[in-house]
Formats: sequence, C-alpha cells, structure tokens
Amino acid sequence: MNQWEVFVMDMSELAEGKDLEISIRTLNPGKQKYTYKHVRAQVSSTLDKFPDQLQVRMGRGQLSQAKFSIKVIEEIRRLPPQYS
Amino acid sequence: MSKISAPRSNREFIEACVKAGDAVRIKQEVDWENEAGAIVRRACELGAAAPFMEKIKDYPGFSYFGAPLSTYRRMAISLGMDPASSLPEIGKEYLKRTNSEPIAPVLVDRKDAPCKENILMGADVDLCKLPVPLVHDGDGGRYVGTWHAVVTKHPVRGDVNWGMYRQMMFDGRTMSGAVFPFSDLGKQLSEYYLPRGLSCPFATAIGLSPLAAMAACAPSPIPEPELVGMLSGEPARLVKCETNDLEVPADAEIIIEGEICPDYKVEEGPFGEYTGYRTSPRDFRVTFRVNCITYRNNATMTISNMGVPQDEGQLLRSFSLGLELEKLLRSQGIPVTGVYMHPRSTHHMMIVGVKPAYTGIAQQIAQLAFGSKLGPWFHMVMVVDDQTDIYNWDEVYHAFCTRCHPENGIHIYRNTTGTPLYPFATPHERKYSIGSKVLFDCLWPVDWDKTNDVPTLVSFKNVYPKDIQERVLANWESYGYPQVK
Ligand SMILES: Cc1cc2nc3c(=O)[nH]c(=O)nc-3n(C[C@H](O)[C@H](O)[C@H](O)COP(=O)(O)O)c2cc1C
Repeated sequence: MNQWEVFVMDMSELAEGKDLEISIRTLNPGKQKYTYKHVRAQVSSTLDKFPDQLQVRMGRGQLSQAKFSIKVIEEIRRLPPQYS
Repeated sequence: MSKISAPRSNREFIEACVKAGDAVRIKQEVDWENEAGAIVRRACELGAAAPFMEKIKDYPGFSYFGAPLSTYRRMAISLGMDPASSLPEIGKEYLKRTNSEPIAPVLVDRKDAPCKENILMGADVDLCKLPVPLVHDGDGGRYVGTWHAVVTKHPVRGDVNWGMYRQMMFDGRTMSGAVFPFSDLGKQLSEYYLPRGLSCPFATAIGLSPLAAMAACAPSPIPEPELVGMLSGEPARLVKCETNDLEVPADAEIIIEGEICPDYKVEEGPFGEYTGYRTSPRDFRVTFRVNCITYRNNATMTISNMGVPQDEGQLLRSFSLGLELEKLLRSQGIPVTGVYMHPRSTHHMMIVGVKPAYTGIAQQIAQLAFGSKLGPWFHMVMVVDDQTDIYNWDEVYHAFCTRCHPENGIHIYRNTTGTPLYPFATPHERKYSIGSKVLFDCLWPVDWDKTNDVPTLVSFKNVYPKDIQERVLANWESYGYPQVK
C-alpha cells in the first residue's frame, strides 16, 4: 500500500466516481518522500475501496481531516520530449 | 581602503561564527523532514546562534547550516567586522563598500574549484541524492533553494544575474520557483526566452560565501559578481558550468545546472514566507529542469527558514532594501538623514528621516520609492524629520502618533505593483499582484509658522539649557540614581 498526499483549494476537486488528473506526492518513507507525480486517478471516501491511501492538504498547507483511498490509473507525462 | 578580511566561503563563515559563539555544532543526527527546519526556526525566533547540523538522517556525508544571516552579529562577521558592531556602523560600511569601484570576478580552472569534487550527469542526476529539507510542516514540497543564488545570463546583452528565488523540488529532476515578473530573472524570461519559446540556462549555487548570498538578495543594480567583489574587497572566484556556459562561485557547496522551461510548468508552494505567513497561493510557476549536479565533498546545504521575525527574509532584506533606497534618495539630492526598515515590519515599512526643506518632500520620497524597482517589496513609507532618530522606534512611533495629520498626512496610492505574498491583500489582489501603498507624512508643514504654530517638543534634550542638562547628567548618580548604561 502506498501513501499519497494532494493539495486542493476546495474539496470538490476530489470528485468521486470519475477519473481525475491531479499532482500527488508520495508519503512513503525514504529519500523520495514528498516528490510529485502527475497522474490520472480515482479517489473514494470509502477507505478500503482502492489500494492506496490519500491524505489531503488545503491551499495554505492545512491538513484536512478528510481521508480517501486512491487508485493511480497511470502517470501522465506532461514534460515535453526535449527535456527528457 | 583598509584590507577587508571577510569569510570567502560558507566554510570559513561557519568557522568564524563558531569562534565568535554565533554558531553551534550539532553532532546528533537531525531529520531532514521538519526537525532541521524546526531547529532553524527556533534559532531565528530566539535570535540564537546559527545551527550547523553535522549529521543528517538518510544523508551521510552532508550537513546543514541554518539561519546564516539572521542576526546583525552574523552580518558583521560576514563583512569581516567586529561582531559587536552596531547597525548604523554595519550600514555605513555596506554603503562605503557598495559605493566603491567595482571589482571584476576571476575565472578559475575546474581543478581549483571545490564545487567540482563530485559530478552527477545523465541518469545519475537526482535531487533526492541531496538532503533537501522539508523546511516547514505543510509546505508544498521540500525546498532546494532557500539560501542560494539562481545564476542566469541575458543571451544578447550578456548581463549576469544572481537572484535568490525560492526553488521547490517537484521530482528528482524538476524544481519550481517563485520568480516574480518584476525581478531581474522574471524580466529576462518575459522579455527574451518566453516569447521565443527558448529554454533559459540556469545554475543554482547553494552554500555560498555569506557575501555572495548577500549580493544575490541585494536589490542593487550592480551585477552580483562585481558586487561580491566590492563587498569582500577581492575578486569573486568563478568557474564554468559543466553543461552550459554560465559561471558559478567556485567555492559553493552545491551547484545544480539546467534549463528553465518556457513550455512546461508544475505547481509550487505553499511555503512559509518572509511576512511570517504562508500567503501566496499554490500555483503553476517557473519550472527548472535539472541536467547536472556538482558538489563538494562533505557538502553543506544552507537553509533560511522564513516565518515570523526574525530571519534573513526580514533582517537582511530590511537592511539592504533600506540602504539601496537611501542611495536612490541621495542620488536625487534629497536631504535625508537615513532610511531604515525595521525587521519586525518584514520590510514593509520604510522609515525616512529628512530635513523638511520644502513642501511635498515626503510625497516626493514616497513616489520615488514606490515607483522604483524596489517598490513592490513594501507598501508603507513613514517620513519623519531630521531630529527624529529613525533607528529608535519609540521616537518614530511618537512622531507618527502626534504629527501625522489623519486627513492631510496620510496619502494612499492605488493599483500599484504588488506581490501574491501580501497577507492583507484580497485573494483577487494576490492572484493578479495588485498592490496599494500608503505614505505617513510626519513632518510639520513647511507653511506653519516655526515660532508660533509648530509645537515644541518637550523632552530633556530639547527644552533645558545646555548647562542644566550637563549639571543633571553629571550629578545623576549623586542624586541617588543608578548609572545609566
Ligand atoms: C531567503 C530569501 C528568499 C527569497 N525568495 C524570493 C523568491 O522566492 N522570489 C523572489 O522574487 N524574490 C525572493 N527574494 C528576494 C530576492 O532575492 C531579491 O529581490 C533579489 O534582489 C533578487 O531580485 P532581482 O532579480 O529583482 O534583483 C528572497 C530573498 C531572501 C533573503
């Protein structure tokens, strides 16, 4: 199980039941902790619905009480090829 | 000029600070996640010695140096002065040095550049190999650049710019940063690179000599490599980058080379800021792609922890902004006694002492200051007369509360350039960097009759004859009072 975190301005950004395109950062321990991936994912407030866990912070870094499970469908590479 | 003996590298600076009792060596292991940041923050809030953290969790061989210039004592040490020097003395020295002849940097060979001791290229490049700290809990990311210089060069004019623009690690090869459109780098990007869709080579230098760091965040028009030379009295030692033709300080601890992408942006923030809040919204900001990392053996990463006063964001910036504004006013022939920004104002208030030589002098000062390149960084100007000690807040506050006319003395300027960092600004103003400013004119109007209209200041210094003052001072202890220090 992986642990992730997302920043939102409004909880409505985490709509359930549809594919979302979001930047999430890993909270798994180790040197990669807090690095981001841009992904397509689904989230659910039912904590055992999806394999990974998602924690939420608001716009100024405040930790939200809300918890989600998350399924990362794919990593989206937005980086133009010349920088790879 | 007498020979200056200022620390030439971050290592020499740490040594000098330890020797003076202004840095502590922390031998026990410190976590890069919050713990190091919390130590630096507490040191700033206590005005304590700078923490030199020699052992970092997960990162053997690396160390941290925090709060490098968050006290006037360390600022004096960085300039090679007596640590006990007063603020006006440090200010005078800064003005003397920065008004001297520019000293050009020298280019040294790679083999003489400690920053080349380790080189990561290609698939080895990974920012996670550096002990990038999570400075405050709840920050948008781990910040690579909090006390550093982002080096760039204008491709046509050749102007070199070193600027301290915060940089967050997005992933192992990507950083994003807050580069404001009115900054030198912001202008370089919008003027040249972005319209052409070209990437802009950059190099981030971390663990600089304190005067190189001071130059990177000084709002001076002098190119930073020359400014470092003027501040330290000798040429800055530079070396060529590995992957672009920029030149970086050879004695820096860590160099990160890469390109700023014109067509790719990732999120940055939120982050603890110099105002003492996390204010600016998380946003898609200037994005830096990393191509190479070089670093010294046993490299030290420097950390400035912005938050409530006082850290470098307030102390050093108040110092250099105030003095650069003083230069500006003097260059216009305005008879100022000085300019001071109190660090507790988070450099939002410029206090100016001036001889009230003519009507409107306070407005002239405010318009020059607000209209200058430095204007977006502060929003209050308070003008007091030449009899008021600008460094003494009690005197300034008294002048403000008694001489500033609520209708005639307060002037508001609307729709000026702002930044997303102003805590009082509305969400709309932050989003579009819309500012507003205010002048507090605490001068007696020039058209008041000096004898009959201007109130007399009733103070020991002002109302008693000199001989009485001298007698009272001479007899003070024999009256039964303890000695006044
Ligand atoms: C610790 C510290 C962090 C700073 N971070 C930023 C920043 O993220 N963005 C910015 O535009 N200026 C920042 N500044 C202020 C700039 O360093 C300063 O304006 C400098 O003169 C570079 O600006 P210029 O390009 O206009 O000369 C910071 C200053 C300090 C002391």
